[in-house]
Amino acid sequence: MNERPQAHLTADEVELWATGLLGAARTFHLTECAECLAVAERERKLLVELAQLQRFAPSAEFADKVLAQVRIQTPSGSHHG
Amino acid sequence: MFSLIYRMVRDRALAEDLAQETFIKVLNAIKTYKPEYKFSSWIFKIANNAAIDHLRRRQIDTLSLDGSPTARSPEEMHASAPQLGDQGESPLDEVESRELGGAIEQAIARLRPEYRSCILLRHVEGHSYEEIARMLDLPLGTVKTYIHRARNELRGYLEGARE
Repeated sequence: MNERPQAHLTADEVELWATGLLGAARTFHLTECAECLAVAERERKLLVELAQLQRFAPSAEFADKVLAQVRIQTPSGSHHG
Repeated sequence: MFSLIYRMVRDRALAEDLAQETFIKVLNAIKTYKPEYKFSSWIFKIANNAAIDHLRRRQIDTLSLDGSPTARSPEEMHASAPQLGDQGESPLDEVESRELGGAIEQAIARLRPEYRSCILLRHVEGHSYEEIARMLDLPLGTVKTYIHRARNELRGYLEGARE
């Protein structure tokens, strides 16, 4: 008797696979479904691109500008800043 | 947090202003912080709100650049629209186009702001779906839908750009 083919991966499962967290049983589906494998590969490529995006930092004067505007409460209740 | 705001508004100077506004709000409201809420999530929530509020305000301003909303003809619209001079590209503009000019950055910029927040918080900042739902005050299912749609749109834009 032929085994029933597994259901296609859901969007959540595709994300789990792309991040290496999908269980073996569902991962096996990709060995027999070219459609899901193509979707999963495209998803993984996108997630890698997103994860590799540059981290931006504000300018060097940023921290000083913030601190200059913050009200720092002293024990006497007055504010510095 | 600065990266999130910068990618939301795509303007370095403005992103610094909004990040500054965020830190000042955080520091001034520190007594209202609830420890059961992750501190970084609280900051991201305030930062994201600042960016979204700005984008909403800018949308109104952009509409008004088209001319008076009470204009009754295209000529009246044109006559009432503010005239903008060509100011050329500043050094800061060049930095922005270098930093945000890649295909993936441009694809992210084409997403609607709600999708952009979700995709950045999930796949760039690494927050869980549950954290994002709490940060954005959205149901978990909505966050998942936004992220799945955003990923589909991004793939479409990137594949279109590569063809």
